[in-house]
Amino acid sequence: MPGGRDGLNAMTSGTGIFFDGLTSARHEAVVALGASALQIAGGDGRLLAEWPYDAIEALAAPGQVLRLRRRGNPTLERLDIRDSRLAAAIDARAVRVDRSGGLQHRQRLGVIGWTLAATASLLLVAWFGVPAIADRLAPLVPGGIERKLGDAIDLQVRGLLDRDKKGAAFECGRAATEQPGRAALDRLVQRLEAAAELRLPLRVSIVRRPEANAIALPGAQIYVFRGLVEKADTADEVAGVIAHEIGHIAHRDGTKSVIEAGGLSLLFGMLLGDFVGGGAVVVAARTALKSSYSREVERAADAYGVNLMNRAGGDARALGTMLTKIGGATEPGMTVLADHPDTRARVTAIDAMAAQRPAPPLLDARGWTALKRICAG
Amino acid sequence: MNRLEAATMAPAGAALPEPKVIRFLGARRAYWRLLVRGAVLLMTTLGIYRFWLMTDVRRFLWSNTEIAGDNLEYTGTPLELLLGFLIAIAILIPIYAGLFLVALDLGTLGQLSGLIGFAALFLLGQYAIYRARRYRLTRTIFRGLRFHQAGSAWGYAFRAIAWWIITVLSGGLAYPFQLASLERFKMRHTFYGDLAGHFAGSGLRLFLRGLPMWFLVVAPLALAVGAFIDVVDWNALGEALSQGGDDILARIEGSNPALAGVLVFAMLMAGVTGSAAALLYPAFQAVVLRWWTSGLRFGTIEMRSRLRMRDVYGAYMRFLWYGVLFAIAAGIAAIPALLMVGALTGGEEASQTGEIAATGVLLVGYVVIALGFSTIYRATVLLSLWQLGMESLQLSGLTALDTVRAGGRPSSALGEGLADALNVGGY
Repeated sequence: MPGGRDGLNAMTSGTGIFFDGLTSARHEAVVALGASALQIAGGDGRLLAEWPYDAIEALAAPGQVLRLRRRGNPTLERLDIRDSRLAAAIDARAVRVDRSGGLQHRQRLGVIGWTLAATASLLLVAWFGVPAIADRLAPLVPGGIERKLGDAIDLQVRGLLDRDKKGAAFECGRAATEQPGRAALDRLVQRLEAAAELRLPLRVSIVRRPEANAIALPGAQIYVFRGLVEKADTADEVAGVIAHEIGHIAHRDGTKSVIEAGGLSLLFGMLLGDFVGGGAVVVAARTALKSSYSREVERAADAYGVNLMNRAGGDARALGTMLTKIGGATEPGMTVLADHPDTRARVTAIDAMAAQRPAPPLLDARGWTALKRICAG
Repeated sequence: MNRLEAATMAPAGAALPEPKVIRFLGARRAYWRLLVRGAVLLMTTLGIYRFWLMTDVRRFLWSNTEIAGDNLEYTGTPLELLLGFLIAIAILIPIYAGLFLVALDLGTLGQLSGLIGFAALFLLGQYAIYRARRYRLTRTIFRGLRFHQAGSAWGYAFRAIAWWIITVLSGGLAYPFQLASLERFKMRHTFYGDLAGHFAGSGLRLFLRGLPMWFLVVAPLALAVGAFIDVVDWNALGEALSQGGDDILARIEGSNPALAGVLVFAMLMAGVTGSAAALLYPAFQAVVLRWWTSGLRFGTIEMRSRLRMRDVYGAYMRFLWYGVLFAIAAGIAAIPALLMVGALTGGEEASQTGEIAATGVLLVGYVVIALGFSTIYRATVLLSLWQLGMESLQLSGLTALDTVRAGGRPSSALGEGLADALNVGGY
């Protein structure tokens, strides 16, 4: 606009509305473009303010208004310019005023770049940092605290699992007819525990759940579901799964996952805020993260279990047999992947580690029959 | 709708519309652009961008609102919000840790931990709401003077908790009186410069206006509960439940032959309640908004709202319309995404990375849909409520505006941060 440029240079003053920040009165002001500063005078010619061009900033205002302030001014002096030619002249002189939005755009790009960088580092910490911290922190948790934590989790787990309201105890082996089964289980667990050398006394129970699963909680608590005992053909198969769960306890996997869950929910839950009802995202993110390293955790527990069975004098290959029977789903909620390469690979690895010698069963025939009937109630 | 509304609407239709004292100048298109860009950035930054988006939104709404010829101004900055959030985190982490330790306790304390945590965070949430209001007010500038708010935030928080308990116990009937009381507290401590505000709305008036709606929503539910109590033979039911044996359902039916009919009736009535609540919600919002804005006072400046209910319904219709369009678009886009998930997880050789990728696709889909609806809601309902609420206001006693003196100082953004971390934020 060559014409505009001429007008701009020729222009030396115009009008605006000035607010002095002391009262709400509107001052019809005469605005003069000085050599290095904007001079704002009242209707009576008295100078109200003088703002150096490099200290003038524009504020958010509707399209036809240019609202200005002096940078760093503690009083809220404001100047509204509605004359577009005067606004253009000020825009040309004040470096911090850019009505095209270019300045703001550049600043905003910086913000976007850094928030993206922060997000990336957050995700990296969630992916690598939190599991690593949990790995190192979990062994440092004293046994007493681990037990307390386990008892608190135990309450929740029982609430979730104990769905049978018919009055039978959640744990098998309480009724008189079940006592021999309980005794057989204790003998089996004793052999494994003697070989395992854990820091906390082990508590193993068979519980009334139809699924063929088992879980280990912090504080050395193991629940074997009755469905698993029903599917097993030998005592060593049950022992193999218990040995696998002892692996979780020895590796402190329960405590680790508690620390991980806490860290992740802190990391994501707080940062995600309320724009998206954050909770569901956190849960989904956590499962996505968990599934990636839970496989390693399972394999480590397999290895421990095989080693323990070897030392206790049992048949470690029974764990592999059981895995094939239950489709690899050693933990509740795991997908059953009977023909899955993952399960086949686990079984192959177990067989490779197992001692290749014939072993007498860990329980005699009478003991095994009793164990089978532990939930007969 | 009733006499009062007819009375306020008649002159507007008959005489020439007088010039509006409050105008909203914002262009919908610009607001959409701001929100959509914000939504994309929220998603890619896991929400960190929200401090910038929130500031952009407020700047847009404030600066485009013109009162008696001059625009409001929002001077808050994203960095202040970020700092407020960090302070809030510093305060909340020890509290969360404490609550976690309490939950580990196995005695009565542990049993009560959920309740203790809820009460503590609820109280803190109310405190945050009041502090956040203070932040927003002190960042609101009009004619070179700022608004500000005095009063104790803890005082407000305890008052609010007491009122919430009363409201819940009264089945919602005390809600109008709660609103009036809390608004009186807020406005009593609100100033524009040295001009003190107060609230003149009457809880009873809102109660009477809201009562028909309350009946329409609650009556079907009450009928259902009443029918239940009337029909069910509790002694027989109790006996049936305490007996041993397998088929509980058959025993319950035997003890109470009419139960099935009552259950159907109760479900029907619950459906009536649900649809009445959904249909009446915009009307409820309109009534509250008009009542609230009509009660605001600053010195001798009085406000009177002429908000029309059908305009509020119009805003919700726009939300529904855009929502349906978005749902169709999302449905079409979901087909290839779901096929991809199927390909990644199904089949023999499903790999670990495949499963993670599939979870990622589902996660992104969820976030896109949630953000999409929240963006549409902001661009239709929330923007319209702001615009309608402002433009329907008539102000009298405006001469008082010319002699107000400055007062108040900017407050910290701690309240905003707490409200954000506790998910009780507003605009």
